[in-house]
Amino acid sequence: MLRWCDLVLRAAAPIVPYDIRRDWLREWRAEFAYTATRCARNGRRIPPVLLARALGAIVHAVWLRWDRWRVEMVIQDIKHALRSLTRKPSFTAVVVLTLAIGIGGTTAIFGAVNAVLLRPLPYPQPDELMRVYKTALKEPERIGGAVSPPDFTDWRHDNSAFAELAAYDNDSLALTGNGAAEQIPTGKVTGGFFSVMGTLPMLGRAITTADDPMGSRDVVVLSHALWVRRFGANPSIIGQQLVIDGISREVIGVMPAGFQYPLRSEMWTPLRFSARDLETQRGAQYIQVIGRLKPGVTIDRSREDMHAIGARLARDFPRTNRESTASVHPLRESMVRNVRQSMFVLLGAVGLVLVIVCVNVAGLVLIRALGRGRELAVRVAMGAGRATLVRSLLIESLILGLAGGGAGLVLAYWATSAIASLDPSIGVPLLNQTRLDLVVVGFAFGVALLASVIFGTMPAWQASSVGEIVTRIREEGGSTTSDPKRQRMRSLLIVAETMLAVVLLVGAGLLARSFERLLSVDLGFSADAVQTFNIALPDARYVQPLQRQAFVETLLERAAGVPNVESAGAIFGLPLSSFQFGISTSTRDGVTLSDDEQDALTLQVRLVTPDYFKTMGIPIVKGRGFVASDRIGSQPVAMLNQTGASRVWPDQDALGHHLQIGTRFGMGGERAGGTVVGIVGDVHDYGPASRVAPTLYLSHHQWPEGGVSIVAKARNGDPASLVQPMRALLHDLDPDVPMSAVQSMDQLSSAAVAQPRLYLVLIASFAGTAMLLSAIGLYGVLAYAVGQRTREIGIRLALGAKRGEVLRMVMTQAGRLAIAGVVIGLGAAVIASRALRSQLFQIAPTDTLTYAVVGAGLLIVALVASWIPARRASRIDPITALRHD
Amino acid sequence: MRRLSITAVCVLQAIAAGFQYGFDIIDQTQLPSGTIYPALGRLERDGFVKSAWENEQDAHADGRPARRYYKLTAPGVKALADAAAFYRSLLPAGKPRAARG
Repeated sequence: MLRWCDLVLRAAAPIVPYDIRRDWLREWRAEFAYTATRCARNGRRIPPVLLARALGAIVHAVWLRWDRWRVEMVIQDIKHALRSLTRKPSFTAVVVLTLAIGIGGTTAIFGAVNAVLLRPLPYPQPDELMRVYKTALKEPERIGGAVSPPDFTDWRHDNSAFAELAAYDNDSLALTGNGAAEQIPTGKVTGGFFSVMGTLPMLGRAITTADDPMGSRDVVVLSHALWVRRFGANPSIIGQQLVIDGISREVIGVMPAGFQYPLRSEMWTPLRFSARDLETQRGAQYIQVIGRLKPGVTIDRSREDMHAIGARLARDFPRTNRESTASVHPLRESMVRNVRQSMFVLLGAVGLVLVIVCVNVAGLVLIRALGRGRELAVRVAMGAGRATLVRSLLIESLILGLAGGGAGLVLAYWATSAIASLDPSIGVPLLNQTRLDLVVVGFAFGVALLASVIFGTMPAWQASSVGEIVTRIREEGGSTTSDPKRQRMRSLLIVAETMLAVVLLVGAGLLARSFERLLSVDLGFSADAVQTFNIALPDARYVQPLQRQAFVETLLERAAGVPNVESAGAIFGLPLSSFQFGISTSTRDGVTLSDDEQDALTLQVRLVTPDYFKTMGIPIVKGRGFVASDRIGSQPVAMLNQTGASRVWPDQDALGHHLQIGTRFGMGGERAGGTVVGIVGDVHDYGPASRVAPTLYLSHHQWPEGGVSIVAKARNGDPASLVQPMRALLHDLDPDVPMSAVQSMDQLSSAAVAQPRLYLVLIASFAGTAMLLSAIGLYGVLAYAVGQRTREIGIRLALGAKRGEVLRMVMTQAGRLAIAGVVIGLGAAVIASRALRSQLFQIAPTDTLTYAVVGAGLLIVALVASWIPARRASRIDPITALRHD
Repeated sequence: MRRLSITAVCVLQAIAAGFQYGFDIIDQTQLPSGTIYPALGRLERDGFVKSAWENEQDAHADGRPARRYYKLTAPGVKALADAAAFYRSLLPAGKPRAARG
C-alpha cells in the first residue's frame, strides 16, 4: 500500500513548483510513514483509504502549481499573447484560417454523421423499433424484402416478441380542392402504425385498428408541414372533408412537427386488406413492416420468434414462402446500413485533414517560437522557469485554437446548412436533419482544444528548453548551422504531412477514376431534351381500364400537337426512378414453368405507349415496336430487352415466341403477356452501377395503368419549356389530376450518380486541401532552414561552392523528405483504400495508375514548393551572409 | 476582510483544538486530503497559520521521519473567533440553548 502511495507522490511531484518540491514530498511521506508506524504499533493493517488520501496529493500539487501561476499571471499571459498575436497579423490570420478549415470541415462532417448515425431517432424508445423483412433463408442479414398482406397478418398474430406490428406502403395521392391539385407523398398504414411509432397526433386522433376493416370510414391524418402549408395551420381542420384521389376523406388528426415516417410522408391514410386479399395475395409482396419490441425483449429473441414463424409459413405455403424467412433489423440499421461505412470514411478523411492542419500549425508556431529566441532568453534571464514559458506559449496556442474553432464553427454552420439542404436524391437518409446542435458544437470545441494542445505543446516544450536558450544567449541569437535535432523534428512533421496527403489523394484519385467509369456507362437511352413528370389517375373515377387508356392516349395525342414537342410517350416504371416491378414468368410458349424456373425467370415489367422508345431514343434492335392498334381487344403483344430475350430463350430468337407472367392486370382476370414482336436495347433502369435487369415491355394500351410517367422530347432542346404547355393540357383534360415529380431525364441521370459525385467532391476537396497544406508546410520548413543556414551557405559560396551546388543541396533535402513521405504514404494508402472498396466501380483499390500519378504528382508539387527557398539560397550574397548574425 | 470559508474554519478549529498535523486534521474534520492541503496552503499564504518541522530526534525515536505541523498565528486566532461568531449567528436562536439543556 505504501509503495502505491509513494508512486502517486512521485507521479504528482513534477507538477509541484521546483523550489518547494522537496518539502512537499517530505511532508507527505512523513504523514504516510506516521500512519504506517501507528498501524504497525497497534497491530492493524494499513487502511486502503490511505490510497484515496494519496490521490489528494495530486490535487494538492495542482493547487500549488496554480497558486504559483495565479489568475492574475494567466490574465497577464493572455494579454501578452493577444498583444504578440496582433503584432503579427499575417501569422495569426494564416493559423486561424488554417485551423478554421480543419475544425470547420471536421465539425460539418461530424454534424452529418451525428444526424445520420448517432443522434437517437425522434421517436420514444427508438431502440425498440424494428423493421421486419421477408428475405431468402440464405441471406437473413439482407435489409429489404417487401411482405405480402397474408404473411404480415400471420406474423402479427403469431409473434410473441412485438408489442405491436404494423404494415405500411409508400404511395402518392392527389389532394384536390382548396387550391391547385397536388400530389402528396402518403403513407398508407395499418391501425397499429402510430402506436408502434409511439407518437400521437397533436390534434385529433391517430389511425387505429378500428380503421382497419374494409368499408370503414375514409380518413386521413395530416403532417404538421402539410397542415401549415396547405391549410394555414387551421385548428378547426379536424372533421373537415378533403378530396384525395377522388375520394372524400375526413381529417381525423394532425401529427406534431418533425414526425415523418415513412420518410417524406406528408399524410397518412389507412392501409386495408380485404378477406380476398388475405386469401389469395400471399405472393404479392409490396408492403413494409415495422414493429415495436415488447419491453425487455432482445433482438435475438425476436429473431428466433420470427424465424420460427417464417419456417412454419414456408411449410404451410411452399409455393410462395419456401426458402424464405422473416428477418428483424433495428430501424436505424435498416435506414443507414448502406451509408454507414462511407460516412465514417468521410469523417476519417476530414480527420486526416485536421491532423495535417495541426501538424502545419505546429510547424508555424514552432518556427515563430524559435524566432522569438531573444524574447524567451530575456524571460529566462529574469527568472522564468521552463513551466512558465510553456504556460505562456500554450496560452497563445489555446487562443489561436479557440479563434480557429470559432471561425471553424461559422464555416461549419454554413456547411451543415448546405448539407441539410442537399437534394434527397443523394440517397442518404436523415441527412436533412444535419444541424449544429449542442453535441456538434461541443465536438467543435473539443476538437479546437485538442488541436491547440497537439500543435501547441510540442513546439512550446521544444522552444522553451532552457539549455537551448542559454546556448542562444551565448550565441547572441546567431547560429552558423541549423540545429540538427530541431531540424529533424520538423522534417518528421513534413514526412507525416506528405504521407497523410498521399493517402487522401489516392482515395480521391480512385474515386475520380471510378466516377469517370460510371459516367462513361451508356445508360441505354438518350436523356437529351426529355422532360418527364408523373400522373396518377384517381382509382375512384377511373375505374375502367378503358378510361385510363383513353386518358393517357388523349393526353399524348394532344401533347404531340404542341409545336415544341418532337414526340411524347408514357411508361409505367420510368428508368432511374427506383421503380421495382419484378414478376415471375409463368408460361413460356404455352408451357407452364416449374416453380424454380418461374422464380429464375423473374422479369421487370414495364407498360409503355407506342412512342415511348422513340422519345427516349431506345433502339428497337429487332422486330417492331408497339403501334396504336396494339390495344385492348387485339392480340396481346410483348417486347423484351436484349438481356430479357437471351434469358427467356437462351438459344433461339425470341421473336414470335409467347410468354405469360404471374400477374393479372386486373382486367378479364387473364395473365399479362403476349407474343414477342420486338427486341429493344438494354436500359440501366437502376443507374450506371447496376446490372441491366431482364425486362418485359407490354403495351400500355392493352394493359392500362392509372399511374404513369409521361416523357416528352423538346424540339428546341430545352425540356423545361415543355412543362407549362403540358400542365395546361393536363388541366384541360382533368383539373383534379396533378403533375408530380416534374424533372428532366438529364436531372434524373445526374441524380443517379449524385451520391458518388458528392462523395468524390468531398474527398477530392479534402485531398486538395491536404496537398496544399503539405506544400505550404514543406515550403515553410525549407524557407526557415535556408534562413538559418544563410551564414553557412555564405561561407560555402565564399569558399568556392557553385550556386548550382547550393541549389542542388537544398532541393536534395526537400526531395528526401518528399520521397520518404510519398513512399510511406503509398504504403498506407494500400491499406486505407480498402475502406473505399464498396464505393468503387470497375476500379481496384490498388489501381496502379492512380498510385503512380499521385506519387509523381506530389513529388512535383514538393519540388515546386522547395524551388523558391532553394533559389533564394543559391542567390545568397557571401558578403552579406557573412555579416548576417 | 474576506470571510473564511467553512473549510478554512474547520481547519483552523482543528488546529486550535490541538490537531496540528495534516492527516490528524483530515481525521478530525472528515474532509478529503485534496481539500485540506490546499486549504492549509491558502491559510499559510494569508498568514493565518505557520508551519514548522517537528523535532527530528523525537521523530526518529518514534521510528519515523519528522512531520510538518501547523499552528495558529495571532491573526489566525482572531479570524477564527470572528468567523466562528459569524457562523454561529446564522444558526436558529433556540438551538444552542436546547443543546445545552
